[in-house]
Amino acid sequence: MNKIMYLEFERCIGCRACQAACRECGDHDAKERNYVEYVDFTESRQTFPMLCMQCKDPACARVCPANAIQITEEGVVLSAMEEKCIGCRNCTFGCPFGIPKFDFEKNKMYKCDMCYDRTRDDIPPMCASVCPSEAIRFIDFDEMQQLRRRRTQMNLVEGKKPQEGNKWDYVPEFFGVYTDSQ
Amino acid sequence: MSQFLVKEGVKNQIRKGEKLVTTHCCYCGMQCGMHIRVNEKTNKVVGVEPRYDWVLTRGKMCPKGVTAYQTVDHPDRIKRPLIKKNGQFVESSWDEALDLIENKYKELQRNYGKDSLSVYGGVSMTNEKCYLVGKYARVALGTRYLDYNGRYCMSSAAGGFNKTLGMDRGSTLPWTELEHTDCFFMAGSNTAECHPTSIQWFWKAKDKGAKIIVADPRETATARVADVHLDLLPGTDSALANGIMHLLIKHDYVDNEYVQERCNNFGELKEMTAKFTPEYTSKITGISVEKIVKAAHIFGKSPRSVVMFARGAEQQTAGVDNVSLYTSMALLRGQIGKFASGVATFTGQGNGQGGREHGQKSDLLPGYRKLTDPKAVEYISGVWGIKPEEMPKPGVSAYEMFDLMKNKTIRGLHVICSNPVVSSPNINHVYEALRELDFLVVSDFFLSETAELADVVLPATTWAEDEGTTTNIEGRVIHIRKVVEPIGESKPDWEIMSLIAERMGKGKHFQYREPREIFNELRLASKGGKADYYGVTYEKIDEQDGVFWPAPTEDHPGSPSVFKEKFATEDGKANLAVCDWKGPAEVKSTEYPIWLTTGRVVFHYLSGNQTRRVGFLKEQCPEPFVEMHPELASQYQVINGEKVKLTTPRGDMIVPVKITKAIRKDVVFVPYHWGKELAVNQLTSPALDPISRMPEFKVCPVKLEKLAK
Ligand code: SF4
Ligand code: SF4
Ligand code: SF4
Repeated sequence: MNKIMYLEFERCIGCRACQAACRECGDHDAKERNYVEYVDFTESRQTFPMLCMQCKDPACARVCPANAIQITEEGVVLSAMEEKCIGCRNCTFGCPFGIPKFDFEKNKMYKCDMCYDRTRDDIPPMCASVCPSEAIRFIDFDEMQQLRRRRTQMNLVEGKKPQEGNKWDYVPEFFGVYTDSQ
Repeated sequence: MSQFLVKEGVKNQIRKGEKLVTTHCCYCGMQCGMHIRVNEKTNKVVGVEPRYDWVLTRGKMCPKGVTAYQTVDHPDRIKRPLIKKNGQFVESSWDEALDLIENKYKELQRNYGKDSLSVYGGVSMTNEKCYLVGKYARVALGTRYLDYNGRYCMSSAAGGFNKTLGMDRGSTLPWTELEHTDCFFMAGSNTAECHPTSIQWFWKAKDKGAKIIVADPRETATARVADVHLDLLPGTDSALANGIMHLLIKHDYVDNEYVQERCNNFGELKEMTAKFTPEYTSKITGISVEKIVKAAHIFGKSPRSVVMFARGAEQQTAGVDNVSLYTSMALLRGQIGKFASGVATFTGQGNGQGGREHGQKSDLLPGYRKLTDPKAVEYISGVWGIKPEEMPKPGVSAYEMFDLMKNKTIRGLHVICSNPVVSSPNINHVYEALRELDFLVVSDFFLSETAELADVVLPATTWAEDEGTTTNIEGRVIHIRKVVEPIGESKPDWEIMSLIAERMGKGKHFQYREPREIFNELRLASKGGKADYYGVTYEKIDEQDGVFWPAPTEDHPGSPSVFKEKFATEDGKANLAVCDWKGPAEVKSTEYPIWLTTGRVVFHYLSGNQTRRVGFLKEQCPEPFVEMHPELASQYQVINGEKVKLTTPRGDMIVPVKITKAIRKDVVFVPYHWGKELAVNQLTSPALDPISRMPEFKVCPVKLEKLAK
């Protein structure tokens, strides 16, 4: 697996199919692990999805005193192991992206695992599969690079040129979440 | 019965002890492909798996589709017939329920004539069932009073298309071409919420530089990214379309050759649109002059454009005019019948297309034949095995049927696949009408608000317990597979109708063992009609990813694009629309100073009878709300989440406020998926379009009140 979860926020239409679908994944216990939020509903309907970055050096795993958060050989950061998690919630505070969720009934953390039971067989995760707007995609590294280049190219085609102070507007907005072992 | 189909190289997850059945979503017109997961041991539906290789939707689903399977084994399912005794529902056997229906139906018809019974159908079911509803009403019951919920959904689009193009196929092109389109002009469609998986095609086109123009009083997810958002007042679409055409003519964007060769009425249209200068148009629509001009230039310059519209433009007293005018915009640009261009309506219900073609409408027979045409009556009578004289005459439209119930012309009603006390306008009136009935039968699989009023409720199956076909948003006939056997004692609607027909002494006309036999009869019944399904077979559907109608012969592959050479009118030419702006039926006053418009949210479908019972969807949107601009909220001194009262002359409701700048300052919006005191349809206007008899759900003035502490 050398695929990337590629997020393009502005494509998102706020349908939350990604969350409904997350509940359907095999090991997910009918609980979604991803997020969709309004940027600011008073201003606009723009929403964006958020999911685990699958950090290379995951803060959640680092701060776990029980070593409950395992990282697979492909680099996927899994949910806490049931038998190890002591329910301290360090991970929920440690993650800089606010990703891990906490099940107060079971006293256990759970989080996005990139649908590991699918992705380990190269089948796309549920959220990326269903997302109608392709705000979430599960693609090859090369395709990601191509998409990034194309974003910039589109701006140039429209005759816009970066100027002092707005160069960042030309940088593709994206998040690549990927694993890199091959 | 079950089959799992994927193209080569496509990987799906199949879990141990499970099998997949390939089918489509039960909800909107996108009819997204999906596989349903079935536990092989228990034979129960356990989940969903994306259908990556379905040509139109590619595995994508909205949250309704993802959770659709949860309705099958739902604890609220009605599993046995229910008979109301002393105001309470009591479970009964089929025999007892059918006995009662037979006695009551026969008694009513004996005392008050054949037409004292009526049937109210729906189009969230297969072609086979929709077709049979018409035959059931006309042959088994012999009544003229038959109509269906598509009257509230697709009738204005149908009226407009028939008038301008001579045929009502919701889309003149296959939607897989949309990625090659240069410009979309979308009016009155919140497609990101109502047809979410269509977004992939619009965004794909946009990636390639396509322009998007959206006409909507709200800044929807599509309007947000549009090149121009025409923030029009509800009820002013015909002015906008005329205004755009005025500019197309003025700036020489008209495809003169096409118009001359293929269209009538250009001279008249030119005359009519002359007064619709940007200034005049702006005054009516409330859109700034600059936006109108910008939109016209973008649309006019685009080599390939598609004009699209939905209920926002159609659910008005000028619905047919609006559709005809928007269609004419495409005609002026010479777009219809060409690659990646044309005109389309967004079909709201799963089978909104197929369900309206085969004779559920008060004046139509299968194959889009007219009940007023003696030849059509003769042909269909032949297929049905009745004498032409026995064919009932045309009845009245859905909403008008309730008037007839109120005055006791209609005394018995069978509602199939619909929930009119939530989905009709002015539902307080509809409630009163249903209470006047002597006998109400409802077929459904959940106890809807309408079913609660019934004397007998018959347990129908969900879409997953029966085989059949539907016709999607594009006009593509597709295959719905049976996933599991009917739950409890529930039966598919076609079987229920056949059983009642049997009791009414018409059993010989309803000898079906499986849906395929009904489909074969439908093929024959539609043969030679405008919506010709004769060449569509289940096998062909599976082989070639669906079949687009018309497909007149067995070796015909179907017609992905229509009107390539000529239109379906008598002279083969399209009739450009010459219509003035008329304005909505009701006007604002000091008492009712704000415009109310209604619509859907992504989490619910139609009257919500299914989606309000699904955990995820209910959590996301448990109750209606009223969306308003902060400026309006400030004038009324209400804050986000505060409950306010909305009133029209027909009713009132109390709803929490949701404040956003993504709506006009003079318009409020309430979604319509709830019943009783949560129903915005207590307030909506029943004024009808003179041609389509479509009610004006989308426009009425309303009073807003802050509640006293
Ligand atoms: S499924 Fe896609 S479009 Fe829908 S909310 Fe999630 S990210 Fe946004
Ligand atoms: S949960 Fe947070 S810290 Fe852990 S891998 Fe995901 S993004 Fe990184
Ligand atoms: S409701 Fe419509 S868009 Fe959503 S999954 Fe079903 S068919 Fe697709």
